[in-house]
Amino acid sequence: MLGRRSVLAMPFLARAAFAQAAARVLVIGGGFGGASAARALRRTDPNVDVTLVESSPVFTSCPFSNEVIVGLREIGQQRFGYQGITAAGIHMVQGTAVSVDPPTRRVTLNDGSVLGYDRLILSPGIDIAYDALPGYSEAAAEVLPHAWKAGDQTLLLRRQLEAMPDGGSVVISAPANPFRCPPGPYERASLIAYYLKTNKPKSKLLLLDAKDTFSKQKLFMSAWAKLYPGLLEWVSLSDGGKVVRVDASTRSFETEFGSHKADVGNVIPPQRAGRIAVVAGVTDKTGWCPIDPVSFESRLVPGIHVIGDAAVAGAMPKSAFAANAQAKACALAVVRMLGGAAPVEPRLVNTCYSLVAPDYGISVAGVYRPVNGLLTDIEGAGGTSPIDAPPETRALEAEYANAWFKTLTSDVFA
Amino acid sequence: MMKLLVLAVVVSMGAVGFAAEPPPGATTCSGCHGPSFMPVNGRASADLSSGMEAFRSGERPSTVMGRLMKGFSPAEIQAIAVWIAEQK
Amino acid sequence: MARVLINIPKEARKGEVIEIKVLISHPMESGQRRTDSGQVIPRKIINKFVCTWNGDEVLSVDLFPAIAANPFLSFFAVADVSGTISMTWVDDDGATQTELASITVT
Repeated sequence: MLGRRSVLAMPFLARAAFAQAAARVLVIGGGFGGASAARALRRTDPNVDVTLVESSPVFTSCPFSNEVIVGLREIGQQRFGYQGITAAGIHMVQGTAVSVDPPTRRVTLNDGSVLGYDRLILSPGIDIAYDALPGYSEAAAEVLPHAWKAGDQTLLLRRQLEAMPDGGSVVISAPANPFRCPPGPYERASLIAYYLKTNKPKSKLLLLDAKDTFSKQKLFMSAWAKLYPGLLEWVSLSDGGKVVRVDASTRSFETEFGSHKADVGNVIPPQRAGRIAVVAGVTDKTGWCPIDPVSFESRLVPGIHVIGDAAVAGAMPKSAFAANAQAKACALAVVRMLGGAAPVEPRLVNTCYSLVAPDYGISVAGVYRPVNGLLTDIEGAGGTSPIDAPPETRALEAEYANAWFKTLTSDVFA
Repeated sequence: MMKLLVLAVVVSMGAVGFAAEPPPGATTCSGCHGPSFMPVNGRASADLSSGMEAFRSGERPSTVMGRLMKGFSPAEIQAIAVWIAEQK
Repeated sequence: MARVLINIPKEARKGEVIEIKVLISHPMESGQRRTDSGQVIPRKIINKFVCTWNGDEVLSVDLFPAIAANPFLSFFAVADVSGTISMTWVDDDGATQTELASITVT
C-alpha cells in the first residue's frame, strides 16, 4: 500500500513509523503563527494528529488594531473564532500550557491535563517585560495602556483618546529593538495624529523613542511633514527620547533629560517571548528563542520548534505575515522530520503595510533565506515603497493593506 | 529549459490526488492572494510564471510584487507557478 | 558645535551624591568603515572628555573608536560646594567644546 501521501512529498522511510500510530504534533498559541502552523500541518499531511492549545476562545488580531484605537474600525472586525480550525480536523484545546517536559515530550495545561507530542511547535507571541521599565506594571497599564496585545487594552486607549479634550497632549513611548511589529508605533502615531487633526486639532502628539532609526522611517517622516506638521513630534534616542521610567499616578514619562506629562499616555513597553517559551527552556539570555532557520527547531531544546514573534528570525521582522510564512515553512519541515527526512531550505517572504492616514498606505517587503544559520535578506529584493510615489500609489497601497488583512485572516481562520 | 519542463511534469504528476510538496517560497503567496483578492490558485502556470517574470523585470508595474520577485530566480519562479497552478 | 543634552540638578544638599548625565550628538566615525565606492571614511571621534567642578577634576575619559555614535555619559559626584560644573570634550580634528552648568549646594 502506497498510502495517501505523495511519493515525492514523503520518503519511503516514513511509512513504517506511521503504520503504528499517527504522529502527534502539538501547537501552542493560536495566533497568526500557531493557527497557520496547525492548518499547514493538516494540509501537508492529513494523517498527522494536530492539537492546538490556546487560552482564549476567540482570537483578537493586532494588525489593524491601530485603526480600532482611532475609531476607523470596530474591535469585532478584529475577532476571529476557531471554528474553521476545528473544521480543518485540528483538535482545539482551550487552556494554558504551564509546563513542558522535553525528555518525555509532554505538556501540562493549567487544568492539570497532560498532552504528549512527537514534535511541539511553540507560537506564544510576546509577553510585556514589565520589569524592564521602572514604574510600569499591569496596574499601571490600566492608566497608561500599552495596547500592544489587542483587546481590552485597545479599547481602553480608544476611550481615553475619545475622552481627551481638544488641546490635550498625547505621549507615546516606543521601545528599543527587538519588539513586535517594528513599524507599529509609527503607524499608531500616524493614525492618532490623523484622529487629532480631524477631531481635536489643538492637541499635540509626542513620540518618545529609544531608537534613532526605525522601520519605513523615511516614508513615515516625509508623510508626517506633509500631513501632520506641528502636531506630531518625534524625539529620537540621541535627542533624549528614551523613556527610563513612567509614573501612572501623574501620567508622566521620564527620560534621562526631562519629564513629559500626558493627558493620554501610551507605553509601548519592552517585550520578550511568551511565558511558555521561558518555561520550556527555549529562550536565551535575550529573552527570545534562537532557532535553526531551516526547520525552526529550537537551538536549545530538540523536538521543539518556535515560530512567530517569539523566535529570533534574523532579518525577518516580528510581523503577522512573517509568522504565517514561518508557520507554513515550519509545518513542511516538521512533516519531513517526522518521516525521518531532512527539511528543505525554505524561502521566506514578508510584506507589511502601514497606514499613515486612511487613504495613505506604505509598505515594506523582504525575501529571506538561511545564510550561516540566520535568516538573511536576499540582496536586491524587498525594500520599501518609493519615497516619491504619487497619491494614487499611496491610496492603492492603503487598499491593498485592507485586502491583505481580509485574505490573511481568512487564510488562517476561515 | 527542457530540464525545467520535465521537472514540471513530474511535480504535477506527484500532485494528483494529494498535495505535492510546495517549492521554496510558494506557500507564502496565500498570505496575500486569496479567493477575494487577486486570486492566483489554479491559473495556468504559463500565465503565472510570465506574470511573475514581468514583475521581476519591472516590465509590469507593481507595488510589492516587483520587490518580492527579485528574491527568486527564473527556475524558482517556474516551480512556484507550476505548484500554484495545481492549487484549488 | 555638536548638539548636547545635559541633566545636572540645579540644587543639592552638601554631601549628596548627584548624577551628571550628558548626551552629545556626534557620529563617532570609527575610521573602519568604507563608502560604497570602497574609500575609507576618515576617523572622526571625540577622543577626550573632562568634567570639572570649580576647576577640580571630577572625571576624565579617553574615548576610542568602538564607542557608538551619540555617546551618552552618566556618572556620579559628591556635592561639596556651590559653583560651576564644566564639561569639555575634544574632537579628532582638534575642535573643543565646553558646556557649563551651575549648582547651588546648601
